[in-house]
Amino acid sequence: MTAGHLLLFAALAMLVSALTGRFARRIWLASTIAGAVAALAAAVWVLAGGAEFEWRSGFPVGGEPLHVRFDAISAFFIALLSIVGGACAVYSSEYWTDEAHPRSARAGRVWWSGLLMSLGAVLLSSNGLHFLVAWELFAVSCYFLITLDRQRAETRQAGWLFLAASHAATLCLFAFFATMAARTGSWELGPMRERSDLSPLFWLALLGFGVKAGMFPLHIWLPSAHANAPSHVSAVLSGVAIKAGIYGLVRFSGWLPPPAGAGWVVAALGVASAVLGVAFALGQHDLKRLLAYHSVENIGIILIGLGFALVARAQGNAAWGLLALAGALLHVWNHGLFKSLLFLGSGSVVHATGTREMSLLGGLWRAMPWTAGLFMLGAVAISGLPPLNGFISEWLVFLGLFDAVNSPGSVALATIPALVLLGMTGALALACFTKVCGIVFLGQPRSGAAERARECGPLMIGPMIVLAAACLAIGLAPAFFYLAVARAAAEWNPAWGGVGGPASLGTLGLANILLLLVGALAATLLWWRTIRAGLRRAPTWDCGYAKPTARMQYTAGSFAGIINEWFAWILRPWREERRPEGAFPSGASLVDHTPETVLEHLVEPAGEVVMRISGLARRLQHGRLQSYLLYIVIGLIAVAALVLRANGP
Amino acid sequence: MTFILETLLRLAAWLLAAPLLPGIINKVKAWIAGRRGPPVLQLYYDLARLWGKGVVMSTLASPGFIVGPAVAWVALVGAALIMPLGGAGGALSFRGDVLLLVYLLALARFCTAWAALETGSAFEGMGAAREVSYAVLSEVALITAVLSLSVQTGNVTLTDMLALSVGSGAVLLAAGLFAVLLAENCRVPFDDPNTHLELTMIHEAMILDHSGPPLAVILHGASLKLLLFAVLLSQVVLPLGRLSPLAAAGALVGTVLGVTVAIGLVESLTARFAFRRVPLLLTAAFLLCLFALLLARKGGVG
Repeated sequence: MTAGHLLLFAALAMLVSALTGRFARRIWLASTIAGAVAALAAAVWVLAGGAEFEWRSGFPVGGEPLHVRFDAISAFFIALLSIVGGACAVYSSEYWTDEAHPRSARAGRVWWSGLLMSLGAVLLSSNGLHFLVAWELFAVSCYFLITLDRQRAETRQAGWLFLAASHAATLCLFAFFATMAARTGSWELGPMRERSDLSPLFWLALLGFGVKAGMFPLHIWLPSAHANAPSHVSAVLSGVAIKAGIYGLVRFSGWLPPPAGAGWVVAALGVASAVLGVAFALGQHDLKRLLAYHSVENIGIILIGLGFALVARAQGNAAWGLLALAGALLHVWNHGLFKSLLFLGSGSVVHATGTREMSLLGGLWRAMPWTAGLFMLGAVAISGLPPLNGFISEWLVFLGLFDAVNSPGSVALATIPALVLLGMTGALALACFTKVCGIVFLGQPRSGAAERARECGPLMIGPMIVLAAACLAIGLAPAFFYLAVARAAAEWNPAWGGVGGPASLGTLGLANILLLLVGALAATLLWWRTIRAGLRRAPTWDCGYAKPTARMQYTAGSFAGIINEWFAWILRPWREERRPEGAFPSGASLVDHTPETVLEHLVEPAGEVVMRISGLARRLQHGRLQSYLLYIVIGLIAVAALVLRANGP
Repeated sequence: MTFILETLLRLAAWLLAAPLLPGIINKVKAWIAGRRGPPVLQLYYDLARLWGKGVVMSTLASPGFIVGPAVAWVALVGAALIMPLGGAGGALSFRGDVLLLVYLLALARFCTAWAALETGSAFEGMGAAREVSYAVLSEVALITAVLSLSVQTGNVTLTDMLALSVGSGAVLLAAGLFAVLLAENCRVPFDDPNTHLELTMIHEAMILDHSGPPLAVILHGASLKLLLFAVLLSQVVLPLGRLSPLAAAGALVGTVLGVTVAIGLVESLTARFAFRRVPLLLTAAFLLCLFALLLARKGGVG
């Protein structure tokens, strides 16, 4: 039994699941889980130090032999794909049932298998042509999963935007792989670190993969797609699919020699994504849209780490680059885990209440204690707080940047703003998640729907528990998981192969364990003391006001108001208010909304210009045959003139 | 064995000394105002009294209302144990421990804000919103201060970062950190711990509904945080690594007392700022720390 056998088994199981998805729900679920477990086992095999797996077919497919390469970087991403893909498949079997969604549930299962298989093929393929084919299949599966609920116009629009952005990205990737094939004479991919003539291609890859990863300002498709897709799809989109973009960047920045300054560009884009992603998130009132913007933020953190790793590699493989890269890679896992946990949690909320609007939620902890508790765990993790996993990866990135500042040379000064803004991102994320947890789960229900909410079943809670346990495990035993990260990092830059991890990672894990244990102990003691001292329940003391109502609570908008004002220059919030007037005011209202600014103020105006120019061109086509003949004559004369000129004296 | 004994001793010192600071501040304020003021040990009496009292909990609140303060207190105690004390170092010291300290403070903030939002009261929501929003700016200033300490000493371990004075930047850094201390601990001019108008409060607004033992834990945690920042500020200024252990301990205690008196003086002599001016003051604190950082950088290169 080797990684190759396990992969083959996983592929066969996924094939069975794709074939049975339409009619046999149970077999689909069983084979998807079997495939995920086998793929995870294969990934663990390689990450734990087992032999890497490489296979070339004797027969060509589409003119090229299949080339599968399963190294530590592939294994790293496959591990995430299999955990999140498997967990969300279980979740979907209760969340998106045949009974509730007779039109789409069957297709949803088949596309789910298609997504897992095509993404797996992207991660394994080592041939440019097959990579592109797999990439397109992956994009199409994503599209059909996003638009599962396509009765709603919003969903169709989100799907269309996704498809357009995705194809713009694929165009860049076509150019990337085709140029590379033309230069090297083969579609085969592999380490080409000596070919400095290939380095400008990195910019094409950055554009193409950057759109998929959702980095600012190429993230325009991301919020609406994540918000309108069914929640198990949002979870896999945010947890895994956008990581395919990161995979591409990691893979090809490792294999190709990146151009000078590439690291700084990536890091700068990362900083912009991190700060602006969380700023936009704070302005949202839609629970899933808010989570989607946090994906932009976390991709930013990953890019900061990757960017500084590139800088370090260009500076003679400085050791701090390994810390930054390790932080970035570990954050790929961490974000995949806690973000899919949060999306599944939001899915349970939507399932129970039928709304994503935070101003209609509230007080859900009473009806949904499991969901509330698990969502809170995810919130602590994504805010980068100890003792969970988000803290570990942010700690690694921070440590790398601190060392970069302390390193001799010109790197130090430019690192300072990145470090300060990374610190700011953490505090902003914390502000955003206190808002989400507080508004959605605590307080008093703000609508009848929130009051009638019921906890979801075990098939929805179970996968969330698995993801939460993974978050906790990485937080408590970082030194153990670092081994896997180090193998992937060594694959990226062989010069970092023998460099050991930070010695203090074990101590950090110990501190996290202590924090968890003592925290639990203190909470128990205080609870016990409170009961002993006498616990009485009474209405909230609202400044002596006798009859507080749900509508008097603080809202999501007011909670984020202070910070939104700081970022108003880019958020451009839209606001409509009717102030109370006169001695006996009859009514007042305030509506505010943070739009997708890049889309509405940059892409759409640019699109309109293109449409207007196209409109001008349309005047040439009017159906009058005489004019068409005239065009042909003019065209012929022009061609003749060109030919004569070329052959002339 | 000695390690455990030492840690317990250190823990006892932190836990017992912390409630002294608010008492001193109040005494200073009373002296300036020409009153006799409450006894210096007032907070100890308050804590003892609260510990024995019953609890009234909002009907809306979940167990998080009690768990939140407990976890926040543990996080603050953890941060205190990491903080080195003069020559004695920290109970737990490793490369990058300073980041753990910063994030433990963040964890405490998360838990306090969480517990505040449990009640569904607009006032506590308002307090929590202000707390987490202004913390963004003070965290930026704090990270910059940490960074300048790190650049000055070429280190990311607290014990080594604080062993020597930061040199020429010390004054700038001390001024910046003092502003951060006032903001993070909700003192005048950012917040007024004595006000009784809920609309104008930050920290006090968050804990309006807490009572009994949980309130005692919150109050003790707040005093611990104040002591933590005062100790940090003192060590940034003092080159304790150069002194003998006894002298270092004396200097540390003296400076912490000095900082406490300074807080009392600020509270007596200035009024609370309007909320829209709070970001300005915090930005100024950030700039002070940034200038200290640039000075440290310049010193390192030149």
